[in-house]
Amino acid sequence: MSGAAFMDLATSIALVMLGVALLLSVIRIVIGPTLPDRVLALDLLTVVALAFVGAIAIRTGLMLYLDIAIALSLLGFLATIAFARYIMTRPAPGAADREKTK
Amino acid sequence: MNLLLLTIVLALIWAAISGSFSGLNLLLGTAIAIVALYLLRDFVTKPRALRQLRRIASLALLFVYELVVSAIRVAIVVLTPNLRAALRPAIVAVPLTVKSDAEITLLANLITLTPGTLSIDVSKDRSVLYVHVLTLSTREALIADIATGFEAKVKAVFA
Amino acid sequence: MIDVMLYLGAFLLLCGSAFTLLAAIGILRLPDLYTRMHAASKAGAVGGGMVLLAVALVCFEGAVALRAIIGVLFLLLTTPVSAHLLARASHRAGYIPNKITVLDEIQTIKKSQSGP
Repeated sequence: MSGAAFMDLATSIALVMLGVALLLSVIRIVIGPTLPDRVLALDLLTVVALAFVGAIAIRTGLMLYLDIAIALSLLGFLATIAFARYIMTRPAPGAADREKTK
Repeated sequence: MNLLLLTIVLALIWAAISGSFSGLNLLLGTAIAIVALYLLRDFVTKPRALRQLRRIASLALLFVYELVVSAIRVAIVVLTPNLRAALRPAIVAVPLTVKSDAEITLLANLITLTPGTLSIDVSKDRSVLYVHVLTLSTREALIADIATGFEAKVKAVFA
Repeated sequence: MIDVMLYLGAFLLLCGSAFTLLAAIGILRLPDLYTRMHAASKAGAVGGGMVLLAVALVCFEGAVALRAIIGVLFLLLTTPVSAHLLARASHRAGYIPNKITVLDEIQTIKKSQSGP
């Protein structure tokens, strides 16, 4: 098999795997159960999307996609930081009760 | 002098990311680097990169190796059929001997990307780092592991 | 030569996708927030980094390859920071680890300080 044909097969397999990964992280976002769980799954979702865009860039040969991937990873990082600050300002459900009984 | 070096490095990174090394683009990169360094002026400590380049390279190599090992370890844990029996999660207080902000930051990042450990918090007096472990053997073994491995390397880079 | 690069790139791409998939499986299977963070931060960073390296290998263009490698460095720098921030924020906000956690020294220290 020539390199190009093998690459074509590899990108197909990679896209299927990444699609399943995307689906699994969406399931975690939906079932939660807590806010940090969802934020973590969103963070992973951006990484999966980054890998997805990378695989598409290889498949199509359009390297402009790479810029999208890098911008996406930046955005995911900033979003997680913002969410972390938000989580810090809100006590977890049930945490206030535990403080009282201590 | 150090700030000048940092500005040049940042301008070159800008040119590399935007994919063009033309004069105008380098000028734009330099302008952005100066603005960024001005905004961060209180946080930029003196970089001593040139002298310790080899130690930094050795640390980086170790880091990449440990990172791949840790990803494989996590992958194995994830694929274990009986997950609850394979896990022994714990949060351990690891005493720190490194003191400066930069050292603690580097150590915490290295710990996060190494097998089975994730740094959570630093105590207010900066003497203890709280580390989450995926599969705890014993507390003492973990502390000794970090002290002789990464902590020693980090110290060597900043020495 | 080009074929070798393509085979190597395809191998890296497949490995990266497999690690990303394992991270997603881990985030679904592991029992609590803190253990899930291990899967997302390590396997995720390695997976995304490998895919970007594959792009760098097969693009045959200096500027693009350089950008991809800077992207990898960026990913490796930011992933531990965001995982750490999220873990710290959640622990401070009072999200407690799962019951199977054998030891939590943050809890015990806080209790002993607020005791007498």
